[in-house]
Amino acid sequence: ESLDVDAHDVFDHDPDLYGKMVRYPLEVLAIFDIVLMDLVARMEPLFEKHIQTRIYNLKSSICLRNLNPSDIEKMVSIKGMIIRCSSVIPELKEAVFRCLVCGFYSEPVMVDRGRVTEPHICQKEQCKASNSMTLVHNRCRFADKQIIKLQETPDEIPEGGTPHTVSVLMHDKLVDAGKPGDRVEITGIYRAMSIRIGPSQRTVKSIFKTYIDCLHIKKTDKSRLHIEDSMDTDNTNASKSSEDGHVTDKIDKLKELSKLPDIYDRLTRSLAPNIWELDDVKRGLLCQLFGGNALRLPSGANFRGDINILLVGDPGTSKSQLLQYMHKLSPRGIYTSGRGSSAVGLTAYVAKDPETGETVLESGALVLSDKGVCCIDEFDKMSDNARSMLHEVMEQQTVSIAKAGIIASLNARTSVLACANPSESRYNPRLSVIDNIHLPPTLLSRFDLIYLILDKADEQTDRRLAKHIVSLHFENPEVVEHQVLDLSTLVAYISYSRKYIHPKLSDEAAEELTRGYVAMRQRGNNPGSRKKVITATARQIESLIRLSEALARMRFSEVVGVRDVTEAFRLLEVAMQQSATDHATGTIDMDLIMTGVSSSERQRRDNLVAAIRDLVMEKMQLAGPSMRMAEVKKPYLSVHVVCPDTIAICPLS
Amino acid sequence: RRESEIHRRRKAERMVGPQYDLVGNPLGAVRATFERAAAAESGGRDPVAAFRSKDWGASEVFRSFLFEQGGLDKVPLLDASNLGLIKPNTLVRFRGMVQDMLGNEFYAGAFKDGSTWRTNKFTDFSPFAMPHPCDSHLWERHLFHCVPVPGQNSWTLESSPGPDLRQMANCLTPEQREKRKRDGDDDAMDVSENGNGGSSSCSKKPKEDDVQIPSSSAEMPASENVPQMNGNDHHIPGSSFSCLVKIYDMPESQVKLNDVAEFIGVYTFDPELAAPNDNSDDIMFDLIEDVTAQLPPSKVPRLHCLVWRKLSSVDFLAKHPAVEPLPSLLKGIRQSLLSHLTLVLGKDDLAANCLLLHLLSRLRTRVDVVTVGRLSLNFTGFNRESVSIFGKQLNTLIQGLMPYSQAIPLSIEYLNTATLQPRKDNKSGRLVTGVLQLPQGAHLTFDETLLQSGSLASKGVENTVLLKNLMESQMVEYDFEYYKLEMATDVQLLTLSEGKSNILPSDLVVPFRASTVSAVNATSEELESWRWYLATVRSLPQSSEPEIYQTIQDEMVSAMRNDRSLGCTELSRWLTMAQITASSFGEKSLSLEHWQMAKELERLRKERMQ
Repeated sequence: ESLDVDAHDVFDHDPDLYGKMVRYPLEVLAIFDIVLMDLVARMEPLFEKHIQTRIYNLKSSICLRNLNPSDIEKMVSIKGMIIRCSSVIPELKEAVFRCLVCGFYSEPVMVDRGRVTEPHICQKEQCKASNSMTLVHNRCRFADKQIIKLQETPDEIPEGGTPHTVSVLMHDKLVDAGKPGDRVEITGIYRAMSIRIGPSQRTVKSIFKTYIDCLHIKKTDKSRLHIEDSMDTDNTNASKSSEDGHVTDKIDKLKELSKLPDIYDRLTRSLAPNIWELDDVKRGLLCQLFGGNALRLPSGANFRGDINILLVGDPGTSKSQLLQYMHKLSPRGIYTSGRGSSAVGLTAYVAKDPETGETVLESGALVLSDKGVCCIDEFDKMSDNARSMLHEVMEQQTVSIAKAGIIASLNARTSVLACANPSESRYNPRLSVIDNIHLPPTLLSRFDLIYLILDKADEQTDRRLAKHIVSLHFENPEVVEHQVLDLSTLVAYISYSRKYIHPKLSDEAAEELTRGYVAMRQRGNNPGSRKKVITATARQIESLIRLSEALARMRFSEVVGVRDVTEAFRLLEVAMQQSATDHATGTIDMDLIMTGVSSSERQRRDNLVAAIRDLVMEKMQLAGPSMRMAEVKKPYLSVHVVCPDTIAICPLS
Repeated sequence: RRESEIHRRRKAERMVGPQYDLVGNPLGAVRATFERAAAAESGGRDPVAAFRSKDWGASEVFRSFLFEQGGLDKVPLLDASNLGLIKPNTLVRFRGMVQDMLGNEFYAGAFKDGSTWRTNKFTDFSPFAMPHPCDSHLWERHLFHCVPVPGQNSWTLESSPGPDLRQMANCLTPEQREKRKRDGDDDAMDVSENGNGGSSSCSKKPKEDDVQIPSSSAEMPASENVPQMNGNDHHIPGSSFSCLVKIYDMPESQVKLNDVAEFIGVYTFDPELAAPNDNSDDIMFDLIEDVTAQLPPSKVPRLHCLVWRKLSSVDFLAKHPAVEPLPSLLKGIRQSLLSHLTLVLGKDDLAANCLLLHLLSRLRTRVDVVTVGRLSLNFTGFNRESVSIFGKQLNTLIQGLMPYSQAIPLSIEYLNTATLQPRKDNKSGRLVTGVLQLPQGAHLTFDETLLQSGSLASKGVENTVLLKNLMESQMVEYDFEYYKLEMATDVQLLTLSEGKSNILPSDLVVPFRASTVSAVNATSEELESWRWYLATVRSLPQSSEPEIYQTIQDEMVSAMRNDRSLGCTELSRWLTMAQITASSFGEKSLSLEHWQMAKELERLRKERMQ
């Protein structure tokens, strides 16, 4: 039995006592125990168990690496990760002997410093046989003992170093209190013992072995178990922000950051700081990193929280760099080239191009990046087969693999960040997105945001890039832009937020969302056009919810506010303006993304069909039903060229 | 009184040194200096407390002996071949890479023997019974597991040979050794007597102290003394030799993982302690097992380091030609190296130029995820036949030029089976090395022509990710079971492949066009001068005048105007190439001329790509 004592209380009571306790723990703790036994005896005279004081929460904890000879025999508090546990060892505490001659049981003999002295003669008056005593195992008292190895946590390891370890000795109740992989804080007494080579040997090894006699163990990562849908836990990035080391400190710092009024802009600036402009694209990418809330309804319906983004643009517009940067930032990120992604499988295939001899790795990127961001470069070069897999991944967030007659459905809760080059080497502004990148519209519609990154020949930007490269090489990197979070802080910020912040829509925000959505749809009803143009669909409203949740997360806010929704609308609109604008009319048209055909185009086709039908009817009336097909077609050969799929219907009618 | 003290010190300093056999009995000098220093401090209540994690003058003696009096050449170099020949408790050198850091070890550094303070520094054993803990001081030292540098090329070993041990062993009979030791001991006696006059604590020093351990081991028959080499069960693949170095008085952060260094110190080995002791009666010892327990002293020698220094590629050169690296001199060597490279590459001038830049590249800075200065190279257009000709020649040449290099045949089977990632084995507490645990400045050549279509298992996928990471960001992830830790590296990477390698995306892709096949051999003088050239140029400082910044920026802007596909990576590479070109001529700063040369190279390369 034990009594936990907070060292802070000891300090508050008497700083001098605290100092003595830390410096001379062996003596002071023995006194504590005596006092405690006294008290117990007074309160409950029948209480017979031994009770022990366990001190915890020392005022200062020491880094495992900094333990040095001056800490020997002192009370220390260290944080670390358990990497190994020994099996439980029964340790003899009291031995009982029996005389082989007369069967007399001796009084229990206490074990003194690891040794027990066997009585030489039987104590029974009548017997007095010598060397007759034997140990009776099942009447002895044993105590549990265990040794664990504690290792430094990754954030305490200096650059170019490897983690240190220390052995910790656990007694009684502490046995099996921690498992390998647990992060714990241990309070104990640091001890050293000399190594005896053996009683016969003359020389003595001057080396001492050190260990910590554990008084108290506290798990520091309990809270992690309660968080569901957190980012992967044994990831380096995530663990940096997790609750150890100077954790509370760090979290406080992050929280402080989140309270800054300009945190959104600051985060935007911190994302790939050496890529300029493209601010709205970066905002979209930020939303992807933070992500929305995944929702699983009791009915079994799933709503994904991951935001998918497609970047389309000219070569040389640092798309790939953005992707690389995102890959660095996102925990469990996977970076792959569309050329070599086979979407499924945990293994990969090396393929060799028969013509050029280029080797390509086809890897199962999507499964591997479960709960991360999957960055796919050269999305347009992806094989159709792999792409069709993406449909499932991007909506259902699973991948089905058929192997040996069994269809396995693997989780692929991944956000997809893809970038594609226009099919002609440069983006043709006169054609739609669909025509520019030969991607099926069904796939396109699954992206929440589609950004067009066009290379406008801009001397200003070029100059800036040139200046940046030069400064990078001449070892005077530009004066660090102010108010930019460094990479590790950004990673910590994101993973903390993903783990702990789960914002809910406020009523006002929901109202704003509805209002905005209705307004968006109404925009399609142009007074000029007869037919309704769809400017928003249900998919967009889901995207909007995800985006606004992500935006709230950036502020560590548990509530999605109106301003998040407004910003989400703005982001969506910016992205749509770039990609879903019908170049013929200059308006936003979701049909362009959903079906690949804009409604103005569709209307034009309809008109054409009607006109042709009229013409054909006219001709038929003139020439009668026996008119030859060729004659009908002849005058409209030009039409045929323009619109082959439309004319195909004509002969039938 | 003060004057006499100063006088005494000076005298002591003079007396220490050559009189001692610092090579044969380093511990004698250590102890003598300690006792003298302790005596000097004897006024205080606790005279030796001041010596904790501090040098009392012993390292100083060795430092001046080694570097100022040329003693370094007299110290034998410890390696697998002479492990058995070196006598314990003598001074040795070891050159190697820090493969693992085993934390620190506490030992009774100073203790009181009667009224005299004695030290256990630089040794594992004490000739005396340990006194009560009150009379001893616990000090700490850092343990490093060091191995011969992976991929170390044979020429580096010739650069600093120790004295021939076989000879030494013959001429140094035990009697002589004894005598020397006694001489040294007598000197110490003289010093203390002269210096301290009537001071009792020191002059009572028993004479045998210094001699006891060395003599006890020297009396052993040599055969018993020889530690057995048994390389098979060692965990370093391909290497059967390693050394446990114990370093004193230094913040641990000074030594980094994968550093290459020379350690000079006392080699200790006690056959009595080397024998496994199964009869350990205390269960505690079995449980708090030590990492060092798996490194039996019979296989892994202990070296108590007195002096150490980091080694760079310059240190491996045979002689240090005391020549100023003048541009005119470097230019000449550059020309001869370049023409040799051209010959090796079958008269492919462009490839030779690129290879030269590649060999001279090094990681300059790291900003966030961007690395500046590296230039990995991919020669395309190889097939199995041409690799067997040119690849072989190229490998031989690189082996002759770079201090550490490895050629890796990149086949499916290799990717699926090789252990590239270093991994911490938490059971044994040691870092299990992988192929990618490399020192800074190592060179790797991948032969991708062996790669056929096929499936990669999960290990193969992990390996390719590691390689790609190394290529792109010069980082290697080490596996610590519960988390991964990224270690920065600076490794030069050359890939020979059929088409452009997408598994190992290099900075510079050059289609290789050989026209002739000629067997070429370089003389050893040539090789030496080239090694010197490469090492010197790589270490040249780079500065530049601000005027050039503007010119280059303008150049870049106009280049971008002409070719919209140019991005950050290309332009950055151009600048890297220009900078290396400048230093290849021995120039410290970049000029427009070099920029144009780099651009011309790039133009030729682009032409060939089409």
